[in-house]
Amino acid sequence: MSLPRWALAFADESGHTSNSDSALATVTSLASLEERVLLEQAQAGSRPAFEELVRRYDRDVLRLALNLMKRTEDARDVYQEAFLKVYRNLHRFRFECSFYTWLYRIVTNVCLDHLRRRQARPEDQAPEAHPGQFEDGGTDFFERQREHRGTLDPERHLLGQEINTRLAAAMERLSPRERVVFEMKHYQGLKLRAIGDVLGTSEETVKNSLFRATRKLRNELGILR
Amino acid sequence: MNTGEQNKLCAEIAPLLVFYVCDEVNDTERAAIEQHVAGCAGCRAQLSEELEFRSAIGSLPRADEKLDAAGILLAQCRSELTEKLDDFERPRAKEKVRVFPWLRGWMMLHPAWSAAMLVLFGLAAGVQYSQWFSGRNDPVAQDQAVNVRPGPRITEDQLSKMSVAGINFTASPNSGSQNVRVRLSAEQPVELDGNLDDSDVRNVLTYVVKNGERFDSGVRLDCLDALKARAEDAEVRGALLCAARKDQNPAVRLKALEALRDVSLDGAVRDALLEALQHDSNPGVRVEAVNLLVRSLEAAQRESLARLSSPQTPEMVGTPVIQTSTSTAAADGSIENVIRTLEELQRADPSRYVRLRSAAALREISARNDQ
Repeated sequence: MSLPRWALAFADESGHTSNSDSALATVTSLASLEERVLLEQAQAGSRPAFEELVRRYDRDVLRLALNLMKRTEDARDVYQEAFLKVYRNLHRFRFECSFYTWLYRIVTNVCLDHLRRRQARPEDQAPEAHPGQFEDGGTDFFERQREHRGTLDPERHLLGQEINTRLAAAMERLSPRERVVFEMKHYQGLKLRAIGDVLGTSEETVKNSLFRATRKLRNELGILR
Repeated sequence: MNTGEQNKLCAEIAPLLVFYVCDEVNDTERAAIEQHVAGCAGCRAQLSEELEFRSAIGSLPRADEKLDAAGILLAQCRSELTEKLDDFERPRAKEKVRVFPWLRGWMMLHPAWSAAMLVLFGLAAGVQYSQWFSGRNDPVAQDQAVNVRPGPRITEDQLSKMSVAGINFTASPNSGSQNVRVRLSAEQPVELDGNLDDSDVRNVLTYVVKNGERFDSGVRLDCLDALKARAEDAEVRGALLCAARKDQNPAVRLKALEALRDVSLDGAVRDALLEALQHDSNPGVRVEAVNLLVRSLEAAQRESLARLSSPQTPEMVGTPVIQTSTSTAAADGSIENVIRTLEELQRADPSRYVRLRSAAALREISARNDQ
């Protein structure tokens, strides 16, 4: 699993990640130095500098939004809302934390707002895209190819599909915060301490959220065994 | 290690396995877990499940790989963001011209006070506006103010060159004054708007009344209606007398006499009434003149009685009543004229009603003199 760019940045900031090494940390530091200049220019009103910052992180932002929201429209909304918030509030950024932390905080807050809204009004929301299924109802091309491969055990493949479906459904039943913590830990590769920084809470609280999320998902899988 | 201790250790280790598999335990915890799992089949099985679970979630298809594998969505998002940033910057350019930046800053820091101030400001503005608005529409308010259009004063020369296009009256139910709007046609049309306190309005109205031949009789009647309330004014009274004597239209002459009703004690008015009695061709005018003369005599007598009942000055004691007042003194001689004129009318007026009314008037005067 490849870690997003900001996971490396968090690693540099909060110690280490399982995938980081000293060489990467050095590269990140150099990038941060250049980034500070960009940030200062953007704070002074330079639109190109701001757009350069967007280009650096927007792929990861969209990826996070897509994985949390599971719908392109919602992810698109999160992307726009988050970067507009960054643009409006960039003058308030005081370099007290890294820009990644600050950006990630904004993005996760926007995602949490959207998820909470979706939970409050499920009838307003379009059905989500389930694993192995696109929004138009068709199945993934690669999934279909795999089904035709004679070397794969059909029973094992079906069980795998069932696990995926159940996990995806169980993920939906997590609270927004548990979902964000689980996503950031297992898919974005962030340390619990960094997640706490982003969510503005303690590492212990994040740990509890991750534990609860894992238990809920494990229970779903336990039915299959 | 007994079973109880073993179970206790398992209860401590089991929750840590979740974090062990994702590398979120410290060195001490890691060592304890590895040592315990090596000797505990149950915890080893649980660790195996945790690893399997981690593997399962790692193999879950990712939404971003499916929904935006080609990066099209990212390109769309970038494009939309650029547009929104353009939109966002446009109003910012306008905001550069801020009149009270300090006020804006203060309001941002004190939202509750700002809201309260805005509400109070809105209330004050609403009250002021409603007062201003009702003042504009309330005819009473209009009457209370001297509503005169600013402009050059109208000279006699200008009046001689213009005609009256229309006169409108706004009667006020609560005040005696009338608001008059006069539209004059000339090289430069003029519109006068005000009450009779305005000298321009008064000048125009009296000019119309005095120069009746130049204006429509309807306009003259309107003017007389307006001037009636100001008959005490010498200028207005002169215009009314002029109309009563000279106007060609008997309705206008009659109206002029009616307008003089409240000042019938005046000698000039009584003369005009007598003149009307003797020379006016219209019997209606003559009857109105008789009525006004009788009224005039009654008023004169009431005034004399009032003077008699009031304490007299030494000079006044022993003086005949009818000669104590200058007004009645002037009218005294006229009384004979009045009686003579009435006797003449009673005898020779072509109108029977005039003759009868004159006879009745003479009887009234006689009865009053007997008293």
